Amino acid sequence: MAILEIKHVSKFFGGLAANSDVSFEINPGMIMGLIGPNGAGKTTLFNCITGYYPPSKGEVIFDGRRMNGLQPDKVCKLGMARTWQKVRPLAKMSVVDNVMVGALCRTNSLKLAREMAMEQVRVVRLEHRSNFLAGGLPIGERKKLEVARVLATQPKLLLLDEVMGGLNPAESEEIIQLILDIRKLGITQMVIEHDMKAIMRISDRIVVLNSGEKLAEGTPDEIVNNPEVVAAYLGSE
Amino acid sequence: MNHPGILHNRHGASPLAIIAFIAIVALLIAFPGFVESPYARHIMVLLFLSTIMGESWNIIGGYTGQYSVGHAAYFGAGAYGTLIVMNAAQFDQDKLLELKDLAQDSHLSALLLSAHYLHPWTGVLVGMLAALTLSLIIGSICFRLRGPYFVLASIAVAEIVRISVLNLSDLTQGAEGILISDLPPIIIGGRTITDFSTKVPFYYIGLGLVLLTILVTWLVQNSKLGYFFQAIREDQDAAHSLGISLTFYKNSALAISAVLTSLAGSFYAIYIKFIDPTTVLSLDLSVQIVLISIIGGIGTIYGPVVGALVLVPLSEILRSNYLGESLVNSGLVNPDSAVGNFLTENLSHAHVLIYGILVVLVILFMPEGVLGFIRKIMAKKRLGRS
Ligand SMILES: Nc1ncnc2c1ncn2[C@@H]1O[C@H](COP(=O)(O)OP(=O)(O)OP(=O)(O)O)[C@@H](O)[C@H]1O
Ligand SMILES: [Mg+2]
Repeated sequence: MAILEIKHVSKFFGGLAANSDVSFEINPGMIMGLIGPNGAGKTTLFNCITGYYPPSKGEVIFDGRRMNGLQPDKVCKLGMARTWQKVRPLAKMSVVDNVMVGALCRTNSLKLAREMAMEQVRVVRLEHRSNFLAGGLPIGERKKLEVARVLATQPKLLLLDEVMGGLNPAESEEIIQLILDIRKLGITQMVIEHDMKAIMRISDRIVVLNSGEKLAEGTPDEIVNNPEVVAAYLGSE
Repeated sequence: MNHPGILHNRHGASPLAIIAFIAIVALLIAFPGFVESPYARHIMVLLFLSTIMGESWNIIGGYTGQYSVGHAAYFGAGAYGTLIVMNAAQFDQDKLLELKDLAQDSHLSALLLSAHYLHPWTGVLVGMLAALTLSLIIGSICFRLRGPYFVLASIAVAEIVRISVLNLSDLTQGAEGILISDLPPIIIGGRTITDFSTKVPFYYIGLGLVLLTILVTWLVQNSKLGYFFQAIREDQDAAHSLGISLTFYKNSALAISAVLTSLAGSFYAIYIKFIDPTTVLSLDLSVQIVLISIIGGIGTIYGPVVGALVLVPLSEILRSNYLGESLVNSGLVNPDSAVGNFLTENLSHAHVLIYGILVVLVILFMPEGVLGFIRKIMAKKRLGRS
């Protein structure tokens, strides 16, 4: 059974259809890539799925449960967590405290939360920064912090919004390894990414959005060979 | 090497800090034994009052980042609750003496006796309850809004409270205010305190409340609550997406802050023995409450203490025009000259203006408050040495 079902989701901002009638499913354990040109509606879809705002139409079903109308905190508690394209570090808190906030979603004990947080800080290899203020980190490390923080909430499904955006090739490679490591932990992922090479490498399946609509869905091979995608998206680059 | 940010010190209380804390508290406890000047004791009481207000606001404003500029509402709840009940208890001097005698015989019978009366001090609890209720109502209205809209809503709701109190004159005596002549005795551990003229009881009540608010703040900071409050302050969307219920935690922060603020109001009411809407429910007071934390340093345990240490003396000096008069008296300025005239006559009226200008300067040049500024300088020195 699919862990996430997106059924005919539309989101309107005034007259603009940022998402229109988008449907697809994600199976447990897989990495789903979500691509599309700027303004295609990828982030909007994440926002609809995680309760940041409700979809105008359609349904989101996570783990067999209808999510429409649930607040982001409930969504997170149910096991679906997202990172932000524009990173949102808790600037005046240390790296480990940032991650502890995520861990405290699952425990009331600060001591336990700290242990859980340090574990995730090590997973993203930020242990040398654990006592630094999050606001002072360079962008590459902020992106890692975003990932550590959501991992600490113990998600079943992780939604990553351009975690490689703005990174240099070496840093991107680290993130790719990180995503593959997370897959090994059995956590399902949906990944928004502009870097085509990277997304083709890590994804099991890919959904292409264009002007709010789903243009195509398939394996990376199918996507690169889809003439519509090539014309509307890859060709336009 | 590029240096990403400042190294963040985990401030788990160091042994030195604990010793310093205990030493200062011991000094404060001993203080009235050495200093009998009523003015000095008065200043100490004002310092305590400011600290209590600042610490209380700090929980919602400093830690949670919700700049309530309507805290006079909770202060007023405490003040009015306390004095209304105290008056209603129809404080009876004879019964009181009886109670006092009994108290010396046995605690139990005194307790039994006092249980038959509406205890005059119940008002403090009534004030706390009123503040709690008010905070939940205000929270449910204002927390729908963010940033500046929240600030404006908090001001508006506090104004509604002030106008209501002004008009509910059967209960509150409206614009006239409430005056009490004598305070009912306080019984602490078999000792009955009836003499309040020395200011000593107020001194210790104030000190106790300061320690209470510091303790509450410490407990908040060292628990899940503190982490969630600060996460909401830093980025509420991020906090929300990490499983934090914004409604629940913002309201919790406001409730804690409101109840503590009501205690400050009760303390003020019994100390001054007169309250009216202009003094305990005004926007002026709300702003003062905010300033204590902002000047001292928000989101830290001792920020409000520092804020009180700066603002109380400042306002005292300016109010008494100590500066102008000492310049004239020392002969530096001729009292008959235009400058002398200005200093002695006009400056004393301008103390609010000067106070305002100084506050703006501090905010401009020390955005992290005085405590933040001191910390920065010390950090720089430490870096310079190493
Ligand atoms: N809150 C909002 N109000 C109004 N319009 C919005 C809002 N959020 C997004 N949009 C619009 O919806 C469209 C889709 O935006 P979205 O951010 O989802 O795109 P995206 O695919 O994530 O783009 P990018 O690759 O640049 O991140 C854009 O035209 C955007 O301007
Ligand atoms: Mg986007």
